[in-house]
Amino acid sequence: MKFLCVPCDTPMKLQTVAPPERGSLSIVYSCPECGYEMAMLTNAYETQVVQSLGVRIGPAEASAETSKSGCPFAGMIPGEDGRPRASEPGPVRWTAAAEARLANIPEFVRPMAKTGIERFARENGAIEVDEKILDQAREFFGM
Amino acid sequence: MKRYHDIVGDGGSRVLEQVVEQRARITDGLAGVRHLVAIGSGKGGVGKSTLTFHLASALRARGLRIAILDADFNGPSQARMGGIQDAVFVPGSTKVALPRTTNGIGMFSMGSLIPESEALAFESAARGESHTWRATREFALLGEILASFDWGTLDLLIFDLPPGAERTVQYADYLEPRTSFLLVTIPSEVARGVVARSVAALSKGPHRILGYVENMSGYYCHDCGAIKPLFTSPDGSRLEIPCLGSVPFDPELARQCDVGAPLPELPETPVGRAFAHIAQQLLDRLESTAEPSR
Repeated sequence: MKFLCVPCDTPMKLQTVAPPERGSLSIVYSCPECGYEMAMLTNAYETQVVQSLGVRIGPAEASAETSKSGCPFAGMIPGEDGRPRASEPGPVRWTAAAEARLANIPEFVRPMAKTGIERFARENGAIEVDEKILDQAREFFGM
Repeated sequence: MKRYHDIVGDGGSRVLEQVVEQRARITDGLAGVRHLVAIGSGKGGVGKSTLTFHLASALRARGLRIAILDADFNGPSQARMGGIQDAVFVPGSTKVALPRTTNGIGMFSMGSLIPESEALAFESAARGESHTWRATREFALLGEILASFDWGTLDLLIFDLPPGAERTVQYADYLEPRTSFLLVTIPSEVARGVVARSVAALSKGPHRILGYVENMSGYYCHDCGAIKPLFTSPDGSRLEIPCLGSVPFDPELARQCDVGAPLPELPETPVGRAFAHIAQQLLDRLESTAEPSR
């Protein structure tokens, strides 16, 4: 979808995307020529259809505000929110490098990956997940 | 006044740009895959998933590098059959390492992420209207999986498609044109009629149809070694595309699927030999044109 300022015959630019409110997004466009502003207010169905494409609306910094988790698949896996299970011992630390690798993978896999790797680390007597542990896990599981 | 196509870009929403970027990531991720084969039917309950798994095992037993993507997100079964329901997902430097079965098949299945007691659910702003967006969401998920997992170098990546003639065509539309299709039917007029519709629909697109496999082509009795009929329709599964082979139902292979114990080698039974034959036929078909898999 594109917006045109008819008096100026100039494409309008996206300015802000407000966080969703009851399924509605408020997206403000402005004309770079005359400064005229207009807002596109989506209904829940329109919001959902766009989100179903697996995309976020607007530039990266704005899109972070449109979703509380920033994940297009948030809430997809019931009960897997990444928090340690009650029966598991205390948290395992992650080094910055290992965490960066975790951040590279899709959020719908991340909670399972985190839980599994931490379990592997504990079973191997480690209290910290670093890149070496990740490589060991990869080798151990024949990947 | 300017028209839509006079305007470059979309003013900053980046919706189309992100879709294009994801398609590029998918193409890059599959660059090392020689053949993409989608196994579908249109008809449910004909044994697509078990046939996919045993065919993949037969190809793997030949030393080929094989992976399965279980594209049936709502009814995933490959994780159970492959024994990877408790798979650990290990992040690599940029992508996720692909879990492997004990017989060395790379495998992604939602069954590794969601317990069988739970259904696949998506967060939604539009409650109660999932028919308007659900399919789009599932294809976005497929794209995310294709782009995010490390498929590496493979001889074949096999897609286990969900049931539904319309779904088969939607997957054809989504997957790269070089994806070939193998259809599964059973010796029944009812199944044949539905699969014939899938053939007709797929034939309108650019994808190659390799042929079909007749599954449940009799019942293999382990006691007497005979293959006994399951269906009475003699020509029930005949379709106007090449038949790559027939597979009798084998309760022992079905049991192995239930317990998730992949076999390193195919059994020396009529059923094992049937899978070996189909594997050979499939490879022959894939290599038979100057334009493999298109």
